[in-house]
Amino acid sequence: MSIPTLQGLQTALSGLISEQTALDTTGNNIANANTEGYSRETALLEPNTPLPIPAISGHTGEGAQLGTGVTVATITRIRNEYLDAQYRTQNSALSAANTQAEVLQSAQTAFNEPSDAGIATQLSNFWNAWNSLANAPTSEEAKEGVAAAGKQLAATFNQLSAQLSTVASQASEQYNSLTGPSGEVEDYANQIAQLNGQIKLSEEAGQPPNAMLDRRDLLLDKLSALANITVSEQPDHTDTVSFGEAAKPLVEGTTVNWPQELTEASGGQLGALLNLTGPKGALAALGTGLDEVAATLASTVNGQLAKPFFSGATAATLAVAVEPSEVQASGTKAAGGNEVALAVAGLRGGAAEQGYATLVEKVGSDVRGAKDDQTTLQGTVTAINDQRQSVSGVSLDEEMTNLISFQRGYQASARTLTVMSEMLETLIEKTGAVGL
Amino acid sequence: MSERITPAMVTSSTLSDLTSSLASLERTTNELSSGRTILEPSDNPYGASRVIDLNSQLEGLGAYEDDAQDGISWENIASSAMSNMNDIAQRVRELVVQSANGTNNQSDLNTIALEVEQLTESVKQDANTQYAGQYIFSGTATTTPPYVSGPEDEYKGNAETVSRAVGPGASVTVSTNISTLLGNGEAAKDGKLLDTLRTIAQHLRGGTAEDREALGTTDLTDLDTNLETLSQLQAVSGSATDQLRVALTRNEDLQTSLTESLSNTEDTNVAATSIAYANEQAAYEAALRAGATIVQESLINFLQ
Repeated sequence: MSIPTLQGLQTALSGLISEQTALDTTGNNIANANTEGYSRETALLEPNTPLPIPAISGHTGEGAQLGTGVTVATITRIRNEYLDAQYRTQNSALSAANTQAEVLQSAQTAFNEPSDAGIATQLSNFWNAWNSLANAPTSEEAKEGVAAAGKQLAATFNQLSAQLSTVASQASEQYNSLTGPSGEVEDYANQIAQLNGQIKLSEEAGQPPNAMLDRRDLLLDKLSALANITVSEQPDHTDTVSFGEAAKPLVEGTTVNWPQELTEASGGQLGALLNLTGPKGALAALGTGLDEVAATLASTVNGQLAKPFFSGATAATLAVAVEPSEVQASGTKAAGGNEVALAVAGLRGGAAEQGYATLVEKVGSDVRGAKDDQTTLQGTVTAINDQRQSVSGVSLDEEMTNLISFQRGYQASARTLTVMSEMLETLIEKTGAVGL
Repeated sequence: MSERITPAMVTSSTLSDLTSSLASLERTTNELSSGRTILEPSDNPYGASRVIDLNSQLEGLGAYEDDAQDGISWENIASSAMSNMNDIAQRVRELVVQSANGTNNQSDLNTIALEVEQLTESVKQDANTQYAGQYIFSGTATTTPPYVSGPEDEYKGNAETVSRAVGPGASVTVSTNISTLLGNGEAAKDGKLLDTLRTIAQHLRGGTAEDREALGTTDLTDLDTNLETLSQLQAVSGSATDQLRVALTRNEDLQTSLTESLSNTEDTNVAATSIAYANEQAAYEAALRAGATIVQESLINFLQ
C-alpha cells in the first residue's frame, strides 16, 4: 500500500478550488447577463492524473488507479462562428435596406404628396387660372391669377428640386463622415487591429482571452453594418477582415489599410449610400424625372404661346418669364379672343401631369420596396440573433441551477476535507497511545 | 439538445412584438383620423398616382363646370337682348302695317318715323349689351361696343367667335355674330335690320306715293326677312344653351362617378378599419399583459 497519507486532503482541496472557479464563472455569467456581445462561459473541469496503485489485492494481483481530484482545464466561451458569419451577412443587407428606406423616405417626404401643397395641386391651380382667363380674357385679375399660379408652380418645382439635392448631398456627407479620418470605419478597424495584437499574445501564453474575443466579435458585428465583411481567422488567432469591395483587407494582423475606394456593390450602409447617390442611383433618377416633367410643362405651355410663358428647362431653373400684363388669352385676335387660353387650359391632364404622376408612383414604389426589404431582413436578422442568443446568451435559470450544483459541490468537498482531517486526527492523536 | 431560451431572447421578442403591434395600431389610428388610406405614395404607389390623376380630372371637371355656367349666363344675356330686338322689330312691323293702310296723315307718319328712329336706337343699345364687362355681340373685340349711338350704323366688332370649353377638346361657341342681323346700316345698303329701319323711317318721312307703296311692300318684306334671320340667331343661341346644359349634366354625372372612384382609392373604409383597430388594440393589450407577467418570472423567485 503506497497511497500518500495526505492525498485525500489534496483531492478535497482540488474539489474546493475547482468548484470555486466554477462558481466564479457562474457569477461572472450572471453579472454579464445583459452585457452586449457577451458570450456565456463555462469552466471545463477535468480529472487530475490518477495515482497508479500496483497490486492492491494480494489475492488477484490486480492493480488500480486512484483518482486524485479535479482541475479546471480552461474557461471557454460558448459561441458558434458559423452563426456569426450568417449574422454579419444578413446584418449588412439589413443595414443597406435601412439606409435605402431612410434616404428614399426623405425624398418621398419632399414630394409632399398627396397634399394640397404638392406639385399636382399647383398644376391644377395653374390650369384653373388659364380657364378663368379664357372666361374673362380682358380681365387684369385673371392675368394676374395666371402669372401668380405660374410663379407658385415654378417655385414648387424649384423647391422640390432643391430638397432632392439636399437629400443627395446629406447622403454623401454621411458617407464621407463614416469613411473619413476618425470615422467609424477607421475607428472600428483600429480597435480590431489592436485586439488582434493582444489576442495573439494571450493565446501564445495559453490563456484564451474570452473578454477580448467577445469585444472583437462585437466590433466585427458593428463593422458588418457598414459594408459586407469577410472574416478569416489566422493560425495566430488574429482576424483578417476584408471590407466591402476594397482592394486590400481592411485589417490584417495589427495593420489597418484605410482609406480605400469602395464601390456601389460594397453592401451595408456605405454601399447603399454610394448606390443612392451614384450617377444611376435612385436619387439621380428622381431628379432627372422631375427635370423631365418641368421641361415638358415649359415646352407644352410655351408651344401654345407667341411669347414663352416659362423660362428654364429644368426643375431647378423653371421660372415665369412674362409680366402679368403680357399674359395673352389670344394670339392675334382682338381683346376678347380666348383660343390660346383655352388651348393652354386644355393641357390639363397632359404629358406633364402624367409624367409627374408616374414619378410619384416611382418614388412610392422605391420606398415601398426598401421598406419591404427592411421588414424581411429584420425578421431574418432577429431569427439569427435569437439562434446566437440561444447558444451564447446567459440563461439565469441555468446559471441559478449551476450555482446550486457548484455550491453543493463546494460544500461536499469541504465536508470531505473535514473527514480527512478527522481521520488524520485519529492517526496522529490516538495511535500509539495505548496504555498512556 | 432542445433550444436554450434565454431571458434576453424573451425580452427582445416581447419588445419586438410590442413595437410591431404598436406600429400597426398607430397606422390604423392615422387612417381613421385622416380618413385616408394613402398617407404617402409608398402606402400604395399605383393608388397615389391614380389619386393625382383623379384629382386632376375632378379639378378639370370643376373648371369645365365653371366654364359652362359662365357660357349659360352669357347666352341668357344674349337671348334676352335678342328677345328685346324681336319685340322692337315686331313693334316696327305693326307701325309699318298701320302706316301702309293710308289712313294716317303726314304728321302722324312723322310721329311714327320718330318712334321708329327711337326704336332703331334701342336695337343698337340692345346690341351693345355687356356681360361681365364684355360686349357680347362684338365677336372677340369684346372691349369695343359693336355700334355707336347716333346716325352712324357701322358694325365695330369682328366676325371672330368666342367659345367656352365644356370638356377635354370640346367647346361651345357662345358668341352671336349680330352683324348678320343688324348689318352696317343705310350707308352699306345691305338690307339688314338697321338699313331696313333707316329706310322705313325715310319712307315714313318721305310722304310720296312711292314711299307709301314701298312701306307696304319692300319694307315689310325686308323686315320679315330680318325677323327670320333673328329667329335663326335665337335658335342658334338657344341650341348653344342646350349644349351647355347637357354638358353640365354630363359633367355632374362624371364628377359623381370620379368622386366615387377617388373615394374608393384613397378613403378609409371606416367600418373595416374600426374593426381592425379593435383587433389590434386587443392584440396590443394582450402582448402588454403577457410581457408584464412572463418576463418577471425566473428560478430566482422560487429559491431560498
